[in-house]
Amino acid sequence: MSSARFASSRALSPGIWIILLLAVVSTTGVLLMPAPERGGAVLWTFIDYNGKNYASILAAWNRAHPDTRLQAKVIEYAALQRRMLTGFFSGTPTADLLEVERSIANRAFIGPLDRVGFVDLTDYLRADGLTDEIAPAVYTPWSSRGRIFGIPIGFHPVLLAYRADLVEAAGIDVSQIETWDDFFRLLRPLMFDRNGDGQPDRYLLSGWNNNPNTIDILLLQADAQLFDPAGRPTLDTPRNAEILARLVSWFAGPNRIAADASDFTFAGNRQRLEGYVVATFMPDWLAGSWRKDLTPLAGKVKLMPLPAWERGGRRTSAWGGTMIGIAKSAPRPAEKWELVKMLYFSRELAETNFNEFLIVSPLRRHHHLPMYDRPDPYFCGQPVGRLYLDQENNVPTRPSSPYTQEALRLALDVLGTLKQHAEATGRYDAASLEPLAHQLLAEAQRSLLRQIARNPFLLAAP
Amino acid sequence: MSPRPGDRASLTSRLLIYGLLVVFGLMTLLPFIWMLCASIKTKGDFYTSQFLPPGHGFLGVAWDRLTLSQFAQLFRDLPVARAMLNSVFLASVCSVVATLCCAAGGYGLAKFRFRGRETVTSAILGTVVVPTALLLGPSFETLFHLGLVDHYAGFILPTLAPAFGLYLFRQAMVNSVPPDIIEAARIDGCGEIRIFFQIVLPIIRPMLSAFLVISFIGIWNNFITPQIVLQSPERYPLSVAIFSLRGLYGDDNSLIMAGTLVAIAPVMLLFLLLQREFISGLTSGAVKG
Amino acid sequence: MKASRSFSEWTPWLFLAPYLLIFGTFVAWPLTRSLVLAFEQTYGPKTTAFVGLLNFQFVLHDPLFWTAVRNTVLFTLAAAVTQIPAALGLALLLNRPDIRGRRLFRLIFFTPSIVGLAFVAIIFTLLLEKRTGFVNSSLHSLFPVWDPDFPWLESYVMPSLIAAALWLSAGFYMVYFLAALQNVPAELIDAAHIDGAGPWQRFRHVTLPEIRPVLNIITLLVVTGSLQLFELPYLFYNDTAGNGPENHALTIVTYLYQTGFRTGDLGYASAIGWVLTLVLVGFALLQRRMTQRGES
Repeated sequence: MSSARFASSRALSPGIWIILLLAVVSTTGVLLMPAPERGGAVLWTFIDYNGKNYASILAAWNRAHPDTRLQAKVIEYAALQRRMLTGFFSGTPTADLLEVERSIANRAFIGPLDRVGFVDLTDYLRADGLTDEIAPAVYTPWSSRGRIFGIPIGFHPVLLAYRADLVEAAGIDVSQIETWDDFFRLLRPLMFDRNGDGQPDRYLLSGWNNNPNTIDILLLQADAQLFDPAGRPTLDTPRNAEILARLVSWFAGPNRIAADASDFTFAGNRQRLEGYVVATFMPDWLAGSWRKDLTPLAGKVKLMPLPAWERGGRRTSAWGGTMIGIAKSAPRPAEKWELVKMLYFSRELAETNFNEFLIVSPLRRHHHLPMYDRPDPYFCGQPVGRLYLDQENNVPTRPSSPYTQEALRLALDVLGTLKQHAEATGRYDAASLEPLAHQLLAEAQRSLLRQIARNPFLLAAP
Repeated sequence: MSPRPGDRASLTSRLLIYGLLVVFGLMTLLPFIWMLCASIKTKGDFYTSQFLPPGHGFLGVAWDRLTLSQFAQLFRDLPVARAMLNSVFLASVCSVVATLCCAAGGYGLAKFRFRGRETVTSAILGTVVVPTALLLGPSFETLFHLGLVDHYAGFILPTLAPAFGLYLFRQAMVNSVPPDIIEAARIDGCGEIRIFFQIVLPIIRPMLSAFLVISFIGIWNNFITPQIVLQSPERYPLSVAIFSLRGLYGDDNSLIMAGTLVAIAPVMLLFLLLQREFISGLTSGAVKG
Repeated sequence: MKASRSFSEWTPWLFLAPYLLIFGTFVAWPLTRSLVLAFEQTYGPKTTAFVGLLNFQFVLHDPLFWTAVRNTVLFTLAAAVTQIPAALGLALLLNRPDIRGRRLFRLIFFTPSIVGLAFVAIIFTLLLEKRTGFVNSSLHSLFPVWDPDFPWLESYVMPSLIAAALWLSAGFYMVYFLAALQNVPAELIDAAHIDGAGPWQRFRHVTLPEIRPVLNIITLLVVTGSLQLFELPYLFYNDTAGNGPENHALTIVTYLYQTGFRTGDLGYASAIGWVLTLVLVGFALLQRRMTQRGES
């Protein structure tokens, strides 16, 4: 048998031809694609609008400094996080400037201090006399072991946004509210059940016991600290046990007042439009996002300070945040620092951030600007900027530990267990839950300490 | 297969079976239909209608409210065309080279008796039980030391030696390549390489094309490896690119559905064209036919 | 096969060389490396420190790891009891010569397994959304008592994942069962029929023993695949890096991925990976023994 004839008598099947053809064509295509050019410095940001936000500032800078150009690139949140961490871990290229959200920035602080991928900005700030421009408490989420690695875009005080139309139609005067207890007592009549399904048609507060943001806001407000100033975990304090035990009745039992209207989803927003929830925790950036995306609520919402946990207590909290930092791999860091100052300390950015997104600047030099006193028709003519700025000195200090999210997750687990326990026993009052809360928090504390103890890179803060 | 006495079931039982098949078939297809409808609706209609927006047109559908703007946006404003090119490139190159690697390896193991054959075979097949996740970290480390992170090669090279592929080809060689043909060719004076390409490969053609399609689809759908290895957006395949749309345009579900449709349509088409080869290749490893 | 003497001793290695080169670099070497890593603590590939058995000691006392184990085992059990019967049931329905359009139905049932997990996650998170999701809105219009805000993704994490996995894999395994059923000798079934065996008895005593080898393989595939569940929950709950509400979506491999690539601790990730490997090998051995006992 001739082997050549044997082979040629059988044609290849279509699958092989199709895929071979695809391979040849696509390889040619990929080879012909021009390599992306890397001229000048690059800024990665995850917020779509920031790319546009900086457009005019960047254009002006690039005109004035043709040899140190800067361009902004918008990258999806998760991808930015991955690329930043891979860059810090393994030296793959990252941008020179990184604009990142709090939970991402935090991840960079786990290793040894000299391996943090961001440039230490502490000395630059001192040298330029800018340390006092921003309240020291505002820096903690962007610091590790006492060193500052990023400049925040804002300090994000939290107010309470409520459906003024519903509240005022019921003849309720919110100025009488000072504490959460006042709030629940006065607004309780709004939780009627007219459709007769045995459940209230409406709840007083948007939030849920398994939502880290809800619980983080409330714990911070109550000074229920998860870490001490030195960065050591302090989960098992009496205050934490008390607050978690008190929170159970918000989410379960006969006095439940909260419902889960999720943020940023269409379903959650529709629930808000229908008035399913009366009040929502409202940091400045979320107020801006509502004004842009939830237009049907214009003129129906007002802001008020958070009701306090106790009379005379703190009337605000903090939620979210974005910083800009310089990658250590960036050439000529001093020059990048100039870029950071130009972007983040400019009056122009403070103005765009407030006018477009209602984010109030953390820089004291801008706080007198008249725009902050302007009445905003979306919030029934309230001077939104001033309401947020009034809380500047009350914003709680947030922890800087890279284990913040783990600690919060453990606190959430404790709250979940407490809630289950209450539902099983039918006792929702804080007094009967507190002993269990103590016990669970002690376990959580041990678990977190074990986790931190196995990290040989993270030395105790000075 | 001739009809058996028991198979001529009563009409009712046949109707019941048809009924079940149609119900399950619909349940299987509804997500696709829903996605197709969602991708051609406007953002507003997405929330107010389940399939197509109701209106006064033919069949009570508002045909005039349908739009292709999502697709235009994907290809004009978003880097989906580039991601498509990347996906085709990665899937086709990986599957062609992996098929050759596995076929050659399977041939070497099946048709030659040599010292160390058993050791090599069991070492390779033994890794089937190793969870792929265990290798994610150390493979990344290896790629890092080789300088291949964020290069196409860093994704392509590790996909070229799947243990499953070697197993399939070894099996195919044992079952369908008669040793006599190889012997005869050797006597004819054929070189070893020529024997492999001109005699052995044509015989196992069905397995070749089945494995090509299987690996093509597998690599097309791979999400985690490209997400770890390929860092720059210009190298993203569709799986990563479309998933990141969800982060940037999370509220525009019509756009995301259109993107998903664009990403799965090519492999669907390939599968429909080559389904027989695909399924026979899949089952040949487990079921001796 | 009779040994051939006419090839040089280098020939088989020539054919094996490309495969072995890749296999050695990207499978064998990383596997060896992961053994070393399991005794180290790392912060990315550049920063490492030897910690001895600490990783393994910690994994045994790590509550998050045990949460992951519980979720994974739960999912695996649910996957086995939903996917295998569904696949076998579909195959039995289709394995009847008197049903028309069998090839079309087979094609329909198989198509979901062509869809990548990333896309399944995108589709299902939209399908299962509160209010606007297709599942809730159609259930609500069929049964008005159904709550349109039924929190599938928020409170029914496992059922949501199991439903998605079922949709994805039932048709895939069906194909294997179908191939096995078509190999069952018709005479055996006919003989049983003549003996007066009912449909259930025929299935139980004739069909099932014949397809048992395939059933074993499918069980092995379903279980080992489910124990490695990762992409689906990770992408469903991408905003919490795969943890899901109250960690209900956290699986062993998700946890491994998080520690390795978000915390940069490739050492601890390797330790978790080896624990998982032991479980998988253990299950494979157990299954082999049971198969052998069944045969003898």
